[in-house]
Amino acid sequence: MIGTINGKPVEFSANETILQVAKRYGHFIPTLCEMADLDHAPGTCRVCLVEIERRKGAPRQLVTSCNTPMEEGMAVLTRTPALREQQRLQVELLLADHNQDCAVCIRHGNCELQDVAQFVGLRQSRYHYPHFYKQRTRDESSRAIVRDMSKCIRCLRCVKVCREIQGTDALVITEKGLATEISVRDNLPLGNSDCVACGQCILVCPVGALAERDDTEQVIDYLYDPRITTVFQFAPAVRVALGESFRMPAGANVEGQIVTALKHLGADVVLDTNFTADLVIMEEGTELLRRMEPGGRLPMFTSCCPAWVTFAEKNYPEILPHISTTRSPQQCFGAMAKTYLADGMGIDAKTMRVVSIMPCTAKKEEAHRPEFIHEGHPDVDVVLTTREFARLLKREGIDLAGLEPSAYDNPLMGDYSGAAAIFGTTGGVMEAALRTVYKVVTGDELAAIEFQEVRGNALVREAEVDLNNGTPPVRVAVAHSLKAARQMAEMVLQGKAPYQFIEIMACPGGCMGGGGQPRSKKAYQTNRVERQNALYTIDRERQVRQSHNNPLINKLYDEFLEEPNSHKAHDLLHTTYRARQRTIRHTMKEIWQEIEAR
Amino acid sequence: MAKVIFGVWDGTVIDNRKRKIFEIEEDPAFQEFDEFNPGNPIKAFLGGHGFFIFEKGVHLLDACRQYMERVARESCGKCTPCRVGTQIIASKLSDLTNGNRDAGVLEEVAAIAEHIRSTSLCGLGQTAPVALLEMIRYMRPELEAEIAAGNSHPPQPCTTYVTAPCIEACPSKVDVPRYIDFIKDGKFAHSLGVILQKYPMAATCGRVCVRFCEMACRRTQVDEAVGIKVLKRFVADREKYITNEWFRSYPMAEKKSDDLKVAVIGTGPASISAAYHLLLRGYPVDVYEAKTVPGGMAATGIPNYRLPKDVLRNEISIIETLGGRILYDRRLGKTITLKSLLNDGYQAVFLGVGAHKGKMLGIAGEDAGLQGYRFGVNMLLHINHDYVNRGIPMDLGKKMIVVGGGNVAMDCARSALRMGVGEVHLLYRRSRNEMPADSEEVEAAEKEGIIFHYLTHPVRILSADGRVTGVEATRMELGEMDTSGRRSVFPVDGSEFVLEADSIVPAIGQQVDHSFTTPNEGLTFSKNGLIEVNPDSLMTGRKGIFAGGDCVTGPATLVQAMAQGHKAARCMDDYLTLGRVRFAPDERMSSLVQAIQPMISKGVSIPIRHEYRVKVRELDPQVRKRMFEEVEKPISVEEAYHEAERCMRCYRVYSVITEQ
Repeated sequence: MIGTINGKPVEFSANETILQVAKRYGHFIPTLCEMADLDHAPGTCRVCLVEIERRKGAPRQLVTSCNTPMEEGMAVLTRTPALREQQRLQVELLLADHNQDCAVCIRHGNCELQDVAQFVGLRQSRYHYPHFYKQRTRDESSRAIVRDMSKCIRCLRCVKVCREIQGTDALVITEKGLATEISVRDNLPLGNSDCVACGQCILVCPVGALAERDDTEQVIDYLYDPRITTVFQFAPAVRVALGESFRMPAGANVEGQIVTALKHLGADVVLDTNFTADLVIMEEGTELLRRMEPGGRLPMFTSCCPAWVTFAEKNYPEILPHISTTRSPQQCFGAMAKTYLADGMGIDAKTMRVVSIMPCTAKKEEAHRPEFIHEGHPDVDVVLTTREFARLLKREGIDLAGLEPSAYDNPLMGDYSGAAAIFGTTGGVMEAALRTVYKVVTGDELAAIEFQEVRGNALVREAEVDLNNGTPPVRVAVAHSLKAARQMAEMVLQGKAPYQFIEIMACPGGCMGGGGQPRSKKAYQTNRVERQNALYTIDRERQVRQSHNNPLINKLYDEFLEEPNSHKAHDLLHTTYRARQRTIRHTMKEIWQEIEAR
Repeated sequence: MAKVIFGVWDGTVIDNRKRKIFEIEEDPAFQEFDEFNPGNPIKAFLGGHGFFIFEKGVHLLDACRQYMERVARESCGKCTPCRVGTQIIASKLSDLTNGNRDAGVLEEVAAIAEHIRSTSLCGLGQTAPVALLEMIRYMRPELEAEIAAGNSHPPQPCTTYVTAPCIEACPSKVDVPRYIDFIKDGKFAHSLGVILQKYPMAATCGRVCVRFCEMACRRTQVDEAVGIKVLKRFVADREKYITNEWFRSYPMAEKKSDDLKVAVIGTGPASISAAYHLLLRGYPVDVYEAKTVPGGMAATGIPNYRLPKDVLRNEISIIETLGGRILYDRRLGKTITLKSLLNDGYQAVFLGVGAHKGKMLGIAGEDAGLQGYRFGVNMLLHINHDYVNRGIPMDLGKKMIVVGGGNVAMDCARSALRMGVGEVHLLYRRSRNEMPADSEEVEAAEKEGIIFHYLTHPVRILSADGRVTGVEATRMELGEMDTSGRRSVFPVDGSEFVLEADSIVPAIGQQVDHSFTTPNEGLTFSKNGLIEVNPDSLMTGRKGIFAGGDCVTGPATLVQAMAQGHKAARCMDDYLTLGRVRFAPDERMSSLVQAIQPMISKGVSIPIRHEYRVKVRELDPQVRKRMFEEVEKPISVEEAYHEAERCMRCYRVYSVITEQ
């Protein structure tokens, strides 16, 4: 079919929207709520206006381009004076009930609403009514996520992600008129709700309505206090994304710059979560082999991902015995730092503060699980997301891009294998585990170390590994996104899952797509491929590519833990789970009170 | 008859401002607009397409302010112009009616109003500013005079009403866009709550409703109607295990004392709905059922494959959860009488006795005593009662002829197949287009192998030795439209033919069985045998005795019966607490909206993306035709969200300014 945009002919197929066609032909239309790679065009912001003439000579009509289809013979105009005036008025109205405390907003300088105000050429806004938004919720009940509905512009992207990508469906829309806000199911505070703190909603929020809880102040306190020894760890996925916040190319590996930056900040010990990723493989792999003995509970799920663990506790308590008891790399790190490292370096563990830098919001909750706090001392004291770390560096005037890289120099925990590096992507934990399990069972290293079947981005992937020990091949599966996790959990509960080992990562793409990573505007997962490639490159370039070949891991077992799954390892590196299902009893009266009678 | 001094509706202007009121012609289009309620003239009418002024002295700014305040309150709050713009307009109009003399504000209000009209997401925002815009366009001098007067104007008596085509089409006036909104919002319990405001049988209605709403749905002008019924079933099924739970902890508003106890006769949809609303209003309610199972025609007349019995039972049990008693095996006119009920201290009675008596074809050779002659309703009753519920085997013969074109005929034919009848023929005297049955039902029957004979009518029943052996039938031809809007039909001479069968099932309608009363009890019946009631109060000729459902309307639909039950409960409440039935402003607004319909232009003016309606999965016809398991399968959460998004929210706000 053929029409025109700004007088230039365009071709399109039936039911394509004006915006889709305009983008293809390079006609810019300002948008706000729409998000193409999420297939999201709710039509709520009403900014992407265009004028159309359905046929030659037909009267001009104003429509939103995001959800209006192109039609044969339609003429679209994107910059008539009348329409530009309506766009400006639209943004003025958006600002009228928006909390315009821009200077202190977490999205300052990085806000899609600010952008759109510029795109439509708004130079002054006549309407600003604080009483329109003052009564709206600011919810700080969660350890991980802060919701400030005075800033929400109702793009509904968060609802879409929570509902359709994650299938968590924790968010609802409440009230009418000006009081309308995105709320939490059953009016619960976020911290007690179905939310599992995956943080995917934050990645898509165009404004400052959703953000991580900002813990940078706490870290500066530790750095400032001379009595405290700070020990930093950062996760595999952080190094391939942080550069984006400093205008570096997507997928740049800034591991060395992070080490330099942390030392510059005054960190006492700088280490890598990759070390304990290797440790997790030793423990989890051994646990898998034990479970594969007669009477063991299979399939076994991975346990590295705290959003997945919370999701299982809240939705599928029957599945908890299937989840590996091995703690996540972050928590193994905390436990080793305050025992083995403290002993080895002669530091009083009570004066040690472990700070982790994670691509993840759920890790903030994980660090506060009661299992990981002993006599008031958490194994991990504070968790910063990648975004907060970028903010911390900026607060300290450090431009990461200008730093020279430096290396680890810790003789106890300062090394990692390639297997640990790929923990940051979906399929990576599985691949790392298979490398080690194969060696433990067969005594040989896998010939083809790169396990292509578990790589890729399909939501569920499966593979078979022949352990050459006379038993049938081991069947494994990898799933990412909570929607896929739900499928897996239900399959297992119905007895229909033919697998022995299942890797789950809650965020699409795994940790590299984590809810704590730098946000991109107008797109959900812009740099996923580059981040993933960078992780596989790190693995490829590592001399040691299997966890069991990491010399410092072997030293740790020799000198401290004895052997995988030893009594001591169990105490320090394993954990327990608890059912956290909630039941809400509505009464008809409550429901009817919320529904205005008509 | 109301006279229009000035009005604009869908762009058409009526301007009589320069004429004297008695010079203005009477226009029958406005005959409904004289008075709102007796003695209370309508001075102005505002809606989503324009406005009419019927009397001088209407304060226009105040009328607009009240209208826009309602709009601002109704805005769903998702799209920018409607959420914020209507609020700004409402507050600026409020300033103007409170003495702000700045006439320049009018310009600003007009700019925002035009913006709301042309850029809002849904029907509410697109229509809400129209009356105001037209007033600013055509009555600017009057508005400026009001502003110049500068005194704060007290609010005029005003009634606002929010509705949509689907709501108006629904006999129960279920707020359809609202329950769909709640699905979009992710709040399924609230969605069900909207439906439960009107009646307790949501899962039942979500399965068998004839869907007046979907016929009125404006989405049909884009692609296909929104799956309103299937969404209702979705929320009702999803919350089914907890519905009773919600009511268990329901704190009654105000418990009425035992000397205000009420009897409800029957447990069909009308009676259940009446009992439900009486219980919610705090009355002690006893429900009397002639049979041993509840549900009335919904239980005996609707086959299990369309409405599983446990679904219906579960919803009827809400009556008991709310504290009502259901007493079985009590037949009015036999075990109990109107007199005995009144003697037992019931202050009011609701009669929902239904229309259960089969109607004969009135043709030669017809004898209800013939073996193989069964009324459709009776056959369905026996299948449901004896076979499905109690497992008693039945033999309905090998070849059956069903006569009729309604849903009961479809139910009979499809049930007969499931009972093992080898060949089922259906005779209908008009063509498929005129068939009153749901087209989905007809399609399902066709798929299952029912043999349809359209334009065919039996003229004689053939029998031998007291057994049906077949019918002699004639072909029919369609004629002109008659006064009722249906096409007349007449036989084609010489087209008679014989169709052999061992049973014949007339399913051409039902009548009220009068054995529940005696002539001296004060009830009167129409010439069709229906109970006569006052249409405003549903009270029969006898004080305190109310009636509704099929026994008043004739055989109708579940949702119409439930609407009557609801109305009866409201009227009985008024009667018992005030001694009279009050005026219902919403009902009156609805009739005004009805009256204005012919003036509303149809059509959706902007291009809308096609999004096709959810496909409901069904049991395979070859499998299902041998069993009574439910044919239609539930939809998934994802499908429900997607279907809900198809709703265009055609909300319209109407208001009247009245004298009092």
